[in-house]
Amino acid sequence: MPSIRCMRSIRGVLLSALFVRAALGQDAAPAPPASPYVGSEACGVCHEDIAKAFAKTPHHVADGTDKKRGFDGKACESCHGPGAKHAGSADAADIRNPGKLTAAAVDKICLTCHLNQPTHIGRLGSSHAKDQVGCTTCHTIHATGSEVLVVRKTEAVNKLCEGCHLTVAAQFQQPFHHKLPEGAMSCVDCHNPHGSMRLAMTQSFGANEPECLNCHGDKRGPFTFEHGPVRFEGCSTCHAAHGSANPRMLDRPVVQQVCLECHANLPNLNTKGTIGVVPPAFHDLLSPRYQNCTVCHQKIHGSYVDRNLLK
Amino acid sequence: MRILLLAHPLPYGRGSVKRIAVCLTVALLFGLFIPLAAQNPPVPPPGAAPAQTTQTTPPAPSTAPAAADDKAKDAAAPSPVPSTEADISGWIDFGYRWRSGVNGSLETYRSIVNLGSGPKLFGADFTLIDPKKRFFDTMHVLASGWGGDPYGTFHLDASKAKRYRFDVDYRDLSYFNNLPSYADPLLTRGIMLDEQSFDTRRHIGSYSLELLPGNWFVPFVAYERDANSGTGVLAFVQNSNEYAVPTTLSDRTNLYRGGVRFELRRFHATIEEGGTTFSSAQNLFQSPGAANPGNSSAPVFGQTLDLSSLAAAYGITGSSTYSKALFTSNAFSWMDVYGQFLFSQPSSNVHYQESATGNLYLPSEIVFYQSEQYLVSAAAKLPHTTVNLGTEIRPLKRFRLTESWLTDRMHDAGNSASAQTIVPLGGAQQTAQLLASSLVSNYNQTETNLFLDVTDHLTLRGGYRYVWGDASDAVLPQGGELTGIEHALLRRNVGLGGVVFRPTPKLLLTVEGEVASSSGVYFNTSLYNYQKLRTQARYKATNSLTVALDFTYLNNQNPTPGINYDFHSHQEAASVFWSPSNGKIFTFQGSYSFSSLRSDILYLVPQTLTQATSIYADNAHTATALFTLNLGHLGVVAPKLTAGGSLFISKGSLPTSYYQPMAKLWVPVSKHAQAFAQWWFYGYGEAFNPYEGFGTHLAAVGLRYTR
Repeated sequence: MPSIRCMRSIRGVLLSALFVRAALGQDAAPAPPASPYVGSEACGVCHEDIAKAFAKTPHHVADGTDKKRGFDGKACESCHGPGAKHAGSADAADIRNPGKLTAAAVDKICLTCHLNQPTHIGRLGSSHAKDQVGCTTCHTIHATGSEVLVVRKTEAVNKLCEGCHLTVAAQFQQPFHHKLPEGAMSCVDCHNPHGSMRLAMTQSFGANEPECLNCHGDKRGPFTFEHGPVRFEGCSTCHAAHGSANPRMLDRPVVQQVCLECHANLPNLNTKGTIGVVPPAFHDLLSPRYQNCTVCHQKIHGSYVDRNLLK
Repeated sequence: MRILLLAHPLPYGRGSVKRIAVCLTVALLFGLFIPLAAQNPPVPPPGAAPAQTTQTTPPAPSTAPAAADDKAKDAAAPSPVPSTEADISGWIDFGYRWRSGVNGSLETYRSIVNLGSGPKLFGADFTLIDPKKRFFDTMHVLASGWGGDPYGTFHLDASKAKRYRFDVDYRDLSYFNNLPSYADPLLTRGIMLDEQSFDTRRHIGSYSLELLPGNWFVPFVAYERDANSGTGVLAFVQNSNEYAVPTTLSDRTNLYRGGVRFELRRFHATIEEGGTTFSSAQNLFQSPGAANPGNSSAPVFGQTLDLSSLAAAYGITGSSTYSKALFTSNAFSWMDVYGQFLFSQPSSNVHYQESATGNLYLPSEIVFYQSEQYLVSAAAKLPHTTVNLGTEIRPLKRFRLTESWLTDRMHDAGNSASAQTIVPLGGAQQTAQLLASSLVSNYNQTETNLFLDVTDHLTLRGGYRYVWGDASDAVLPQGGELTGIEHALLRRNVGLGGVVFRPTPKLLLTVEGEVASSSGVYFNTSLYNYQKLRTQARYKATNSLTVALDFTYLNNQNPTPGINYDFHSHQEAASVFWSPSNGKIFTFQGSYSFSSLRSDILYLVPQTLTQATSIYADNAHTATALFTLNLGHLGVVAPKLTAGGSLFISKGSLPTSYYQPMAKLWVPVSKHAQAFAQWWFYGYGEAFNPYEGFGTHLAAVGLRYTR
């Protein structure tokens, strides 16, 4: 019985204490653990310009809908990390700035949401991934207008790529080139900057056909009589796709030099011989008639009707 | 023939009335805007640095709440623009361009530049945002090169979050190519006739609709169309001679595709089905009348060969289906996996018919004949399967491993049945032929790469790639000049390496290289024993000065007896971007590149049946420069001048020069409008074919309206 009295006494003391604390105010109650996040609205109080611009970008959708990753209402912090400390101190050192991180660290942030997306196919094999070219090298997260996330206008796309690929940009200054400098095409018409299984990160037509066929449909075939290199090693076997001094953008300025390098008329007796050397032809290469092979072998990409690619 | 080629839709030398009307319109527009310029305050020149959207410097803690209060008050203030009004921003450039007479070869000018005179929509770039989000959230519209220019583009994309994304891309491209020296066996006889010239126009449209983007289930459909038509000149090849004749050609490809994407947090899959239809028609013709002597004027057994009439037509149809399945998975926090399965099977059918008359010769029968009919029916099918798997494993924080495997199997099979009837003096002779063709490629590749983040600023990688496969090319029964039965093996070992070094945020150095050794390749010029190197460096010296360097090198050798192929190329490029005071005074960007290429290979001299070396060499200099000067406030306007251009000079097997200097003056005339005047010069020269050179001036005036 004394124990019961004792318990009642203790309970009475505790309840009294609680009432006293309640009477003094709620601040005295033990606070739940503070969230490290403050929400996008809080970010917009100081970063008003960015917040307004960001509201016009596709990433803003995270503020309203991305519940599964816990970013609903926290779009800013989905990339910049928890912002409570920064909101309190207003110190730039207290918030993550992806613009100052290494490429791999930036990619890790982006891939939090974008890893399992179609663009991820081929990413690992791409030279961009191998050379640590981060997502934000090309993508600007806060930009608005036609440059939201990434530039779209062909000249701007080409300018962006040219920033790193100087030698390629120079090749487009040759007289015969795909019309990138003119703004009719952009690098991403042919290349997939996210990566692809094809050489030079090129796009594909349909499922697994060369990207060149997106525009040059007449070269697609299948031809009854194929020209092997077109299928085996692609258009770049003979063509300099970025630019050339040859009117057909060939690797060599004179047609017969392109052809001769494979059709050298020297049968390779090695059992692992190369294709295209037999049977040899005996045209008089000094005659103007035979100096441009494609005058006669005009269906050089493949012929529907002639085994010698003449018609 | 030249008349045929010059019959191009561009309004060269015509439309003077239209030009005058447009000039008046432009003048009126200037007249309207100049008074406006006097009323409006000067605006920053175009191209000035965009507003800073990067993180602003945070205010001192003591002032932050006050600043926040002020901003809150500003936000509460009524907006002068109704919030339901669509937000449109962007610009449009339009005006008029003049081209001077072409000093030199008009044909070459049109093959390379092909810009003409007339009213132009030079470009437009608009973004629309609907605050009410009724039909779309955002819409972008881009356009360039309309008004008879050879490259017209239009792009539109509209999206509504979680509802749809719609893309339209349309291009109208003209392709004119006619250089007298390119394919002209008659040049030595003074006849300027490219026997492979074209004047065609290509229309490419792409339309895609994606539903429920951002959801876990995303269906999509798309339609693409590629249509080309025009005229040209081709050689009709007939046994002992070839005759340049006019040709018309057209082709259409339609691509339909649709599928669905599943986007889950740890897994993504895409399933897509598609198909194409293709049709192509080409006609070669020569009306009866004057005989065409062809490229060979040498008599055969005392007789001169000629073609007096020709009608040849290709009717080609094709179709294909394809299947695509892709997946990526973040299976574990330390491992990603991806894979794809691709299958396509295009097929084609062709009916070719040809009827020719003249004095023709069949060397295999040693017979002259006066007419021939040639009919061919052929078909081909090309099943093509590709499978690719890969993974990235991150066992340690600073260590990654990637592994990929690819197999690509293609098997083209074709057959043709032909019937030829020739009518010599002795009576008609008929021959028929059945041929089967096969082209097979089995390509495989496996690659492993190891990445090590030595420090936060240095990443090293090394790897190994093994490539193997086989290819064959056969036409049965054997015969003919180029085709027979050939088989080749591919075996290549490649060592991979790379360094990415970023000691400070201002400096980035990238090096990547490959060293390979092969024991078999498909072609003489294929990569065999090669070394490939690429380095890039970028240094942001100050906020206004950035310097970049790029170097590529390739050395490829195939020492196989009978081939002895030796190829070297390297290219160096440097660029600088200097924009002091954030471009308020001037901006300069320039680049220079030097490339060198040499290719040697053995070949058999037909006349002597002895070996000789075919040598090709080319050294080229390329430079570009663009200097933009903000002229400050001249009275009430703040004009801006841009000048620069590019040059290309090569020496070697085909010495060529190509210059493109330009200058452009912008003059703001109102809050939303800026007038511009531009001048270009295009100059082209070939040392060996000086008659193909040209020089042309172009000038344009226009207006940019900005909203």
